[in-house]
Amino acid sequence: MSAADARPPALEVRGLTVSYGRRPVLADVDATVPAGTLSAVVGPNGAGKSTLLQAALGLLPADSGRTLVEGRPARAALDRVAYVPQRDAVDWDFPITVREVVEMGRYRAAGWFRRVRRSERPVVDESLDRVGMTAFAGRQISQLSGGQRQRVFLARALAQQAPLLVMDEPFAGVDARTEAALLDVLTAVRDEGRSVVVVHHDLGTVRARFDHALLLNVRAVACGPVAEALTPANLRRAYGAAGVPGGAAGREEEPAWTR
Amino acid sequence: MDALIDALPLPYTDAVVATGAAVLGLLAGLVGVLAVLRRRTLVGDALSHAALPGVAVAFLLAGVKDTVSLLVGAAVAGTLAAVLVLALERSSRVRPDTAIGVVLSGSFSLGIVLLTHIAATGDAGQAGLQDYLFGQAAGLVQADVTLFAALAAGTVVVLALLHRPLTVVLFDAAFARSTGLPIRLLELVSTVLLVVAVVVGLRTVGAILMVAMIVVPAVAARQVTGRLATMLVVAGVVGAAVGTAGSLLSTATRTPTGPVVVLLGAGVVLLALSLAPGRGVLWHARRLRRDRRRRQREGVLVDVAAAGPAPVAASALGAGRPSRAVRRTLRRLRRDGLVRATGAGWSLTAAGQGAATAVLARRELWWAWLEHGAEVAVGDAREPDPDDLAGSLGAEAVERLRALGGTAPAVAGGAR
Repeated sequence: MSAADARPPALEVRGLTVSYGRRPVLADVDATVPAGTLSAVVGPNGAGKSTLLQAALGLLPADSGRTLVEGRPARAALDRVAYVPQRDAVDWDFPITVREVVEMGRYRAAGWFRRVRRSERPVVDESLDRVGMTAFAGRQISQLSGGQRQRVFLARALAQQAPLLVMDEPFAGVDARTEAALLDVLTAVRDEGRSVVVVHHDLGTVRARFDHALLLNVRAVACGPVAEALTPANLRRAYGAAGVPGGAAGREEEPAWTR
Repeated sequence: MDALIDALPLPYTDAVVATGAAVLGLLAGLVGVLAVLRRRTLVGDALSHAALPGVAVAFLLAGVKDTVSLLVGAAVAGTLAAVLVLALERSSRVRPDTAIGVVLSGSFSLGIVLLTHIAATGDAGQAGLQDYLFGQAAGLVQADVTLFAALAAGTVVVLALLHRPLTVVLFDAAFARSTGLPIRLLELVSTVLLVVAVVVGLRTVGAILMVAMIVVPAVAARQVTGRLATMLVVAGVVGAAVGTAGSLLSTATRTPTGPVVVLLGAGVVLLALSLAPGRGVLWHARRLRRDRRRRQREGVLVDVAAAGPAPVAASALGAGRPSRAVRRTLRRLRRDGLVRATGAGWSLTAAGQGAATAVLARRELWWAWLEHGAEVAVGDAREPDPDDLAGSLGAEAVERLRALGGTAPAVAGGAR
């Protein structure tokens, strides 16, 4: 973690409650993502992780509660955020090239009604380069593998040059090589003083690579530095005694039958 | 527009029909791209069917067959139908296809009942309202064409202005929302454009088949390009061409225009779906066959090699493959000088030995990649090309893989 800074938290939610119909999905969640950290949102399936991200950014109506980005109401601070939705949410047969997807990251800054100016090109080039997709810039997106698609999504977010990166399940269904490469990029982004929030499943990776974690199961079970948040006791509270991935002790080892 | 009509080397009425049909084809083609990419083409269908009662009500209210008031009636009814479909989807547990089915059939039936009622009144002014069912391009007059051209020009301007916001919303609505774009407003705009295109085509192509003018150009265009800008242009051109050809043909043969236009369009789509390079059915079939042959060839070669220096009978090379395929593959290999047949069976030639070794080396590399791929840094997002693993990974990565994979069984003819 870079010098615990005096900046306001990158993302803060207070008393956030969201329900779908009559079923609560998030109940009175308090959470803070300190500025300049690589933060994970972890929790069992159906814990409300994706909902939390969307509601925290004001993309989804909340029943009650407050959400702040850099101390300002989230809806008013969307220009400070680069949001990466789940990969499956889009039609990958859409007639568009890799480069055009990344250029979408510049539209808001460059103006929705103007052509992408020449001065925007270096930003797009650099974003493609950071995720290793330069050689694929002209490809139609349907020709990409799952890992390459996730790289394109990250490149688009990088092109937005926002101080807060919010990613929903970027590593789901991605090969090990891509996951490692993307984590390196995210770590570098953190080291530039920006903040990154990632929904993630793999507790082992979270322990090894992340600074900060929110353990969620409809309620916020724990929120803090990884070592303090992901204690065996907290994990049992979030996942139930039998359900902790890697066993009740919260070790990284998987049971043999999952290999 | 008038100058264009005069300039065409056609009799005046044909020139009017051709120009009108070209304009409506262009418009439907452009708007159809949005509808197809949004997967909302059936909303277009419901909308055009619902325009029919709109036309009937407008006639009953106005009492005369005035193009503008009929089109306004169609537009209002079409919009209502689109809103109704959305409302059914959102407010109840009705799925989109069901909601569309209910609205489409309900509103169309209402239209038929109203048209029958109007016909029964014996009002002389109502002749020709039936044309709104299957379309009749011959009835187009110059004023219609001018109106169509103005609406088409407006649509082109809106598309050009909103090109980027619309692209983002179409491709990734969640991302679009996170950049603060007004999603609902943009969806409303594309629905309005759809209404305009349907209304313009209604008289010429007819309520029943109008959806084809929306779908056909976009589907054909998607087959030949992977870029949205090109797709819009191609769809516009295809729509205009199909519209013009179909209208002239139907006028000459005195058939309803809608079916003729749609038959032509269906032909274009079939051609595009089967022949398009890289996407078409024929292209896929050829690639599948090539892959299958190559797999058989390499498999038989390796199996002959594994049998050792002694000749092997074709029947021993089955391994789950149909024996006819094995024999055919052996004959091809012999033609290429890779195997030879002796009385006792099949054996490799020197060239065949070399080819088998190359196949095994390639398999070896694949196994090494699957086992150790994650440890080999290739520096970018490169991924193995199944046809050319070594070429796609680069010499350096291949060398590292070979070193890592050194524990695998050695490449040798007899080892098995």
